[in-house]
Amino acid sequence: MPPQQIKQHDRYKHGQFALVLSLVFTLFFLYLAVTRQTMVYTLISLAFIFESLIQQLLLRRLVKEGVSPTDHSKRTRIYTLLQVFSLFTGNIFTASFAFRLRQAKETISYTFMTYIFIADVFLVALTALNIFKPYVTNSFLIILISLISLTVIDGLFIHYLKADITETKSHRARIKLLIVFLMITALTGNVLRLLLSYQLYIHYIQTDESKREQSNQFWQKITRSFTSMLGLLFIVIIFSLSWMSTFTFVESFAVENNYQTLLLEPSLTHPFGTDNFGRDVYSRVVRGGVISLTIGVLTTLIPMLIGGALGAISGYFHPLVDQTVMRVLDALYAIPGILLAIAIIAAFGSNTTNLVIALSIGAIPMFARTMRANVLIIKKLEYIEASRAIGESEWKILFKHIVPNALAPMIVRATLAIGTAVIATSSLSFLGLGVEPHVPEWGNVLRVGSAYLETEPYLAIFPGLAIILLVLSFNFLGDGVRDALDPKMN
Amino acid sequence: MTTRLIKGFHVSQAAVGLRFIHWLLGILIHIPALLYFWFKVRKLPVTATLLDQQMIRKLQTDYDQRMKYFNREPNEQEKQAFISKEQALIKKTEQQDRLNYSQFFEQLLRSRLFILMTLVPGLFLYLFYFIYHQGLIRFIFERLLATVFVIFSVIVIVFTLLYFSPQDPAQNILGDQATAAQRENFETLFGLDQPYFTQLTERLHGFITFDLGTTYQGYEDVLLNIENRFPVTLTLAFLSLVLAIAIAVPIGIISAVKVNSFWDYSFMFVALIGLSIPSFWQGLIFILAFSIELDLLPSTYIPGQLASLIMPVIVLGTGLSATIARMTRSEILEVMHEDYIVTAKAKGLSNRRIFTKHALPNAWIPILTVIGLQFGAMLGGASVTEKVFNIQGLGSYIVDKQFIPDIPAILAGVVYIAIMISVVNLVVDLLYALLNPRLRAELND
Repeated sequence: MPPQQIKQHDRYKHGQFALVLSLVFTLFFLYLAVTRQTMVYTLISLAFIFESLIQQLLLRRLVKEGVSPTDHSKRTRIYTLLQVFSLFTGNIFTASFAFRLRQAKETISYTFMTYIFIADVFLVALTALNIFKPYVTNSFLIILISLISLTVIDGLFIHYLKADITETKSHRARIKLLIVFLMITALTGNVLRLLLSYQLYIHYIQTDESKREQSNQFWQKITRSFTSMLGLLFIVIIFSLSWMSTFTFVESFAVENNYQTLLLEPSLTHPFGTDNFGRDVYSRVVRGGVISLTIGVLTTLIPMLIGGALGAISGYFHPLVDQTVMRVLDALYAIPGILLAIAIIAAFGSNTTNLVIALSIGAIPMFARTMRANVLIIKKLEYIEASRAIGESEWKILFKHIVPNALAPMIVRATLAIGTAVIATSSLSFLGLGVEPHVPEWGNVLRVGSAYLETEPYLAIFPGLAIILLVLSFNFLGDGVRDALDPKMN
Repeated sequence: MTTRLIKGFHVSQAAVGLRFIHWLLGILIHIPALLYFWFKVRKLPVTATLLDQQMIRKLQTDYDQRMKYFNREPNEQEKQAFISKEQALIKKTEQQDRLNYSQFFEQLLRSRLFILMTLVPGLFLYLFYFIYHQGLIRFIFERLLATVFVIFSVIVIVFTLLYFSPQDPAQNILGDQATAAQRENFETLFGLDQPYFTQLTERLHGFITFDLGTTYQGYEDVLLNIENRFPVTLTLAFLSLVLAIAIAVPIGIISAVKVNSFWDYSFMFVALIGLSIPSFWQGLIFILAFSIELDLLPSTYIPGQLASLIMPVIVLGTGLSATIARMTRSEILEVMHEDYIVTAKAKGLSNRRIFTKHALPNAWIPILTVIGLQFGAMLGGASVTEKVFNIQGLGSYIVDKQFIPDIPAILAGVVYIAIMISVVNLVVDLLYALLNPRLRAELND
């Protein structure tokens, strides 16, 4: 491959992306090391400098030797292996790149497995921070040990999936076992495991070639886009950490007042400090993850279903129905979502259920419009005429033939809308509307912190960073899904 | 003039809804005209005997010519059969034509005298025809009507929500100790004891006459409150919009021109981060950095001091800039893949010329639409930014009043923001219609 072509290759771009982000974090940790003068930051920044240097060297060698590991010299392979271990210093970017570089022909299963492994490592590390707490839950040690062993097992699976598995009989049996294993371990909240088991099923168990082709088309684009995989990874880490927190985090640290630990600085015991009631902010943020995520997903799913149905009906049936439905939705559309939510919450009181309903109603017109526009296009296609000619009922045509084909833009919208919903939820909590004040939802945690902005700014900074990370992840994923589903790109 | 009216009349006959409106508006003209038509025109005896003979003569020559053309001997019996058959056919179509009321009405419209005579009762009908005779005027008119309808619907929706609220303003203001008589008094004072429709019509009437009532708490004039708070919100929104356009459009253009380059990726990454930052958190961080640590800018808004508006404008404009930058990039990229750009390249035009002459003029129209739509979302977000920077604007007004809930204040606040959004969307749509040649041509057809 000529160098120019290599520079346009997905892998090379991934490497550059990793290098830039790694450099940014290096600068950030250097700044912290200089201002704080602590050992930990100095070590981390040294590690990051080292990794960035190797990354730079690796990229240069890539241009010379090509992007496939089969063409690589021994030295490049050693560099790649070194970068794999950068995962343990927290450098996801270079690590994910190195994992990718180790496989000759990228398979979806291998990519998923590597990201599962990365998520495992982070889950273990973030859970293990509880060791520094005065006491831990009864189940903490057992779960931590099983998580560590799970990580080791997953590491081995990476090696197993690295080679493209052929369809021999013994392999099929093994793959079946692997699928069962993944389904069970998906109870840790790691959604990637479910995705991987689905992939394995599609590729190695079922025999329908067209299904394989179809799923390949979508997932290959997602797994090759490193930004959307990174987004997916962060979402999975936040979700599974928060999901497991019932067993691994002491609940009373997050919700009960403790007057011995008022407004403490960040430390190993309290990584994000403690708030004005002595509650550990780290535990609160971790606990709140599931709440913020659930509200975000619900306030996207509900309007997607209602708005989708309304849009489909108004797009398919008589113009009179269309006009009536769309004019009513126009009126809703003229009120900004947040203001409508404020009005609804003002009327029916502020609690989580009302918040979900309020935000959902505001998002209905957007989904309805998207669906309607698609239905209008699809209903003119020939296969719809054909199904009408063979005498299918109108409803059956609409929901069996039109809606499934009009879903792609809805999914793209929804993925991007989850991020917006998370922001809206936390904004309303910040205003004191919506989620009850004692619930550790991220907006609530931030609201408490904002009162101490002058003296304890970290109380507002960390939960805010958590929100940004989650929303950014959804936006990354949404962009990836859009690129994968957009017919213009295909 | 009459031709225009007739064209409008034709347009109005095309759709069911329009035909209904045409009957409704012209009911004063239509009733006498219909009666006249029913009794006089339709009953006109079929007397045109002279015409009949003319027609028979014409048919005879017609038959003769046909026979001559086919080189056949004319047959008298066949000739009679042909004539009677053709004549019946012509008569039938004639009858159908004559029975049509809309043609009769069109004939009436043709005479200037008729229009002048019926100008007073038919003014609305003629105005209606005039509006519908041209696509662009019709579009503008319908768009205006839709805006008014949307604003009224907003009033109805928000009022209905607040009316059916289980919250009790009387109890929230007067407290638990209030006697039943006191509460009753409070409710009569604000008309809360009236049935739903009376209250609703009163509110609608109030909005038309600019009498928005008083707040429950403190007895303040709502209109005065809104007047005081509206300018700040408007200034904030407008400045943010200007800032967003000034930053985002060039960034989007650069990213699109140098697509897949380092700059493209960096800009789009930053834009994505801008999209993901909650505005209140950004506001807090700005206050922390520029007010507390660096002591450069005031942390709260002080009326009349422009420096105190800098941070709120940037915070409010961030999300908008991010969206506009992303949209600008994707719109330009989409245009760059069109066939006419390929043609331009094939003609040997320079890249710069292709971009300025062919890509930009086509790309900026959808960008304008996106800006209009995003403006609404930004106004909703203004309430959060206003709370963070303690700006006494319309958004923070709604938030402050929602705890009671102070129905007149919330209603007025939400409706005024909705009006602002509707007007902006209206302007964008009209600009779109005026500036987009493709849409203009479509409308005029």
